[in-house]
Amino acid sequence: MTALVRLRLAGFLRTGRAVAPLLAGLVALGILYGGGRAQPAEAYGVSAVVLFPLLAWQTKLLLDVEPDGQRRLAQVVVGVPRERLAGLLAAVVAGLGTVVVALAFPWLVGGVTTVVEPGGPSVGLGVALGLWAHLLAVPPAVLLGALASRACTGSAGYGVAVLVLGGVGTIVLGLSGSAVPWLMPPIMATARATTGAVAAPTITLLTCWAVVWSAVALAGYLWWRRSRA
Amino acid sequence: MRLENVWLRYHRRGPWVLRGADVAVDAGEAAVVQGRNGVGKSTLLQVAAGVLRPGRGRVVERPTRVGWVPERFPADQPFNVEHYLAAMGTMAGLTKAEARRAVDDWTERLGLTRFRQVRLPELSKGTAQKVGLAQAMLRRPGLLVLDEPWEGLDAASRELVPEVIDEVLTGGGSVLVSDHRGETVRLPGARRWVVADGVVSEETPTESQAYAVVEIAVPAARVAGTVARLRAEGHQVRAVRSEVRSGSEHPPGASDRFGIAGGVSSSGPEQPDAAEPEPIAAPVGSADPDGQVAR
Repeated sequence: MTALVRLRLAGFLRTGRAVAPLLAGLVALGILYGGGRAQPAEAYGVSAVVLFPLLAWQTKLLLDVEPDGQRRLAQVVVGVPRERLAGLLAAVVAGLGTVVVALAFPWLVGGVTTVVEPGGPSVGLGVALGLWAHLLAVPPAVLLGALASRACTGSAGYGVAVLVLGGVGTIVLGLSGSAVPWLMPPIMATARATTGAVAAPTITLLTCWAVVWSAVALAGYLWWRRSRA
Repeated sequence: MRLENVWLRYHRRGPWVLRGADVAVDAGEAAVVQGRNGVGKSTLLQVAAGVLRPGRGRVVERPTRVGWVPERFPADQPFNVEHYLAAMGTMAGLTKAEARRAVDDWTERLGLTRFRQVRLPELSKGTAQKVGLAQAMLRRPGLLVLDEPWEGLDAASRELVPEVIDEVLTGGGSVLVSDHRGETVRLPGARRWVVADGVVSEETPTESQAYAVVEIAVPAARVAGTVARLRAEGHQVRAVRSEVRSGSEHPPGASDRFGIAGGVSSSGPEQPDAAEPEPIAAPVGSADPDGQVAR
């Protein structure tokens, strides 16, 4: 399975499909951090929101690079469950690479301050919360991208629709006062939480929320792929 | 491997492409899938290979290692032949060193050596088809599924397919192969599955499938050509061995003797007036035809 993950990542990089989401991410982060310095936790919370649709798009691009015929060949060689898992793992690895860039970016452009506000988290804690916020965004984003991939939707049009609805829905339904925030992953709730002192129960709740949402999305992805096989 | 009452359709409300397919192929056996275009030959093969999941019914006793050669190799990938095959080898469970050796072996056997550094999208259809064949054989499969494997191959390369099939069968594997061009006359001992209107039936041979082994001798220089011609005529060339004869018994120099199985089925040539077959000393299928033993 590792060989298949490597092959898919290699295909993603060699076709140049990785460039577009990376550039888009850099532009978005440039705009985000261009307005002045912010506390690390708060800045990273917003960064995770910005990156969520980008990570989903990146996943869709990565999974769609492989021709359908090659995906079927991979199924024959490694088996159906491993083929599906390998695609998601490759997307997670690519997503983690993007997260590393997003975490390093504000330090390179002076987008964050090391001056700790009274009552605010320390710089180290702020970075840790930022890392948590980004890691919380990766699995739901990867699964949204996987649900939008050609293997699931069968056409570019439906794929884009799933991607846009998922990205916009995550932001709109995640706004404060939303009646059904649990329909989407807790990306907005996490961003709100990182603006102040985050309590341990909040971290646990948001983490569980993201895990449950991802589990449901994973089950949906596997069921949909199975029904289309 | 058996397909038990397999039904398949591509869409929930679409027509059934396969309806109650109930066929089996044993270890060491080949089955040829025949039928008109669009009747479901590729679908049947993909179900057998595990690419498609039956809507009803099941596939049982499918070997763990399956090699599938699709009708159209997916050449639109950003890798060269060597990188792609090495990756497929490691995906199949070979170590890097084993994968490298397998790639060396199969690129040489299939005449792909000079294309190793060529990117897949730049390959001709026939060469890409050979890459598809190579990836399926890197780790000898227990079930080899070939979907129109002769498509795009030149005359010389077509001879490779029966060789590969024979190798899998000799190793105790099973082979399924589809064909609508009559190339499978090269597989006279294979079962015949006919697909029509979604129904798969096994065609019973109308004549005896008995074989006779005929040992003949040809000058060594003509071995390759003779082997190729005999195979093209539907004979199974089982073994080749060298021997040196003297004076008037045979033209000067070495000659090669080989045993062929003359088929008497409807697809094979007539049974020759063969002399009593001699046992063939060399083991069947243990070396190349231009070496000592032909398969």
